[in-house]
Amino acid sequence: MDLVRDCLDKQLVDRNGHNMGRVDGVVLQLEKGKQPIVAFVEVGPVCQAERLHRSLGRVAKAISRRVGVAQQDPFRIPWSKLVAAGIEVIADVDAEETPALAWELWLRKKIIGRIPGA
Amino acid sequence: MKKIFEIALGIVTSVGGFLEIGSITTAAQAGAGFGYQLLWAILLGGLCVIFLVEQAGRLSAVSGHTIPGAIRERFGLNYFAVLFVVLGLVTLLVLGAEIGGVCIAMELATGIGFQWWALPIAFLIWLIIWKGTFGIIEKGVSFLGLVTLCFVVGAFLFNPPWTNVAAGALPALPAHDKAHYWFVAVSILGASISPYLFFFYSAGAIEDKWDESYIGVNRVIAAGGMSFGTLISVSVLILAAVILLPRGIQVEHYSQLPMLLVPVFGRSGFWLFVASLTIACLGAAMEITLEIAYLTAQGFGWNWSENQRPKEEARFSLVYTIAILVGALIVVTGIDPLQLTILSMVLTAATLPISIVPFLVLMNDKYYVEEHGNGWFSNTVLCLIIAVALLVTLVAIPLQIFGGS
Repeated sequence: MDLVRDCLDKQLVDRNGHNMGRVDGVVLQLEKGKQPIVAFVEVGPVCQAERLHRSLGRVAKAISRRVGVAQQDPFRIPWSKLVAAGIEVIADVDAEETPALAWELWLRKKIIGRIPGA
Repeated sequence: MKKIFEIALGIVTSVGGFLEIGSITTAAQAGAGFGYQLLWAILLGGLCVIFLVEQAGRLSAVSGHTIPGAIRERFGLNYFAVLFVVLGLVTLLVLGAEIGGVCIAMELATGIGFQWWALPIAFLIWLIIWKGTFGIIEKGVSFLGLVTLCFVVGAFLFNPPWTNVAAGALPALPAHDKAHYWFVAVSILGASISPYLFFFYSAGAIEDKWDESYIGVNRVIAAGGMSFGTLISVSVLILAAVILLPRGIQVEHYSQLPMLLVPVFGRSGFWLFVASLTIACLGAAMEITLEIAYLTAQGFGWNWSENQRPKEEARFSLVYTIAILVGALIVVTGIDPLQLTILSMVLTAATLPISIVPFLVLMNDKYYVEEHGNGWFSNTVLCLIIAVALLVTLVAIPLQIFGGS
């Protein structure tokens, strides 16, 4: 498997097939004398901002902490919970229970859900 | 039988949704300023858009990817971020121009200044998207959009000197105002080759669950729909050439545009024009609004579908709500909608390479298009389109300065 081609930036869906973002980052674990292992993938605006520019990442992190909607940003999913399938990467989690959808749920509850007809 | 019905529906949808403020304005300016001489620019733009729409549809049908999704995956986050910011900003301006178009139609109909209409119209657009489904927006509005065929009827009734019209299909240098001539040519290309057109088309292919069996359907819809659509723009140019040019009317204000239909249809021509402008711009505004939300949601992997309830896709709904508001506020500032339209068309033209260069890679990557990739012919055409786009990018801003007024 080619991590950049077959994993990074792919659509991430949960076990119920719900969109939960894209694979924004891949985290490798390095230990002396051992082969590097792929530990996690990351999802979330902070990870995206870090990839664009380090200082942008710092700003995003500060804002994310301040606002406090997402408990964990970026959200990390262990590699063992992932399966690459076709054009998607499936994570064996329930998206609504993870911080990946924190903003989606916050908006649903506080703003969009309150507008008639939503 | 089902496929034939879908082809017919697809063509009707493309034709009804083709005309918008940009194509009406630029074609009218071309005809009023240079007669049939700029016909080639409309034809060239139409030809480019046929190929791009066909490739966008094929990519989505075969790979199941939306264009923003595929670009994010294949070119990474950095490239997508550039595309997102540049295309997003330009598209917001275009949205402002379309909302402005509906407002102008309302001003023509009622005499109440266009700025006053911006917020009510924005609310109407938002309400239709909020409550409606993709089918209602795509098909409903497009069927109403067939009223724009009145331009074609008008052009034929006028029976222009067809040999002169045909001569305009070949590029020729004008005798006067060279800078303005090329400026109008560039804005015509910007109006015809709108990225929103093929991004929206590709989202539609996914919403309608197209697969490989739709490659043929896609080809016929792209060729048929876009050719007939181009015919409407050509008709606007012909009408401007036979009506506005002899009277020395340069298109400097929207109030001059109903003149395009009045000599043919009399008093009802005025109302036909108002109806055409309203429906064409309203439809375009909805498609563009959705396109901005699609671009964002697909690129970032959020939930997106015009067929879900807003609650199920809160971020997607928030994006289109903000987009409509920004578009309306641009109009509320009182900026001249004509200037806004021309500016946004030129900027669309100037930023085209960012959205179409990725096609060259995607349409040749077996991972996406399998054995349905581009052949030598499609690739040659695509390279030519990119060459035209790059050339346009280089000359668009200087022309805006020297030939814009």
